[in-house]
Amino acid sequence: MGKAPPITNRVKELREEHDGMSQQALADTIGVTRQTVIAIEQGKYSPSLESAFRISRVFGVGVEDVFGWEG
Amino acid sequence: MSFREKSAWGMGALMLVTGLLWVLHMDWAVNDDHVHIWEIAHFFIAVIILSIIIQGVLAVTNRGEARKPADERERVAIWRAGHWSGSVLGVGVILSTLVYGLHGGGVSNLFNGVVASLIVAQFAQYAFQIFFLRRGV
Repeated sequence: MGKAPPITNRVKELREEHDGMSQQALADTIGVTRQTVIAIEQGKYSPSLESAFRISRVFGVGVEDVFGWEG
Repeated sequence: MSFREKSAWGMGALMLVTGLLWVLHMDWAVNDDHVHIWEIAHFFIAVIILSIIIQGVLAVTNRGEARKPADERERVAIWRAGHWSGSVLGVGVILSTLVYGLHGGGVSNLFNGVVASLIVAQFAQYAFQIFFLRRGV
């Protein structure tokens, strides 16, 4: 509880690369709230496999290009 | 702040205020074998009416989010909060029963103890929801 999961991500970086896509736009596209996108970017929440695939499809990359295992 | 968190803040504040009013209003010196159901009925009716008002105001001011179901992170936060508030309720009921069993007295105090446990557990549920939604699940 409170400890960040050992999963890293490039969501914020990829959002900025995609014409500065807003957190709300990404949230609406993958079907979560903006607060959940914020939690993912801050490493406070690891998304479900389904959401991870949705995020990677939005950016047109593979899941492993968005998410990684720390260490 | 998401709709779920606003809702938890509103309902938590409601439980805190109405719970404190109920504690202050109750005549704890009365310790008989009658369950004073009408006294607690006022509390429950007030909670129901105020809950409808709070949820109505939140739904009108957050139309978009209010229509959507909780997302995956919110569902986990709500589930965990329910788990911990269930433990709070269990401890409260066991303590109330132990006090009644050890000290005896009327059934009214046992009843009030269980109702107080319910109120505290409900408040705890909203407090845990806010905690998990903010700190991560």
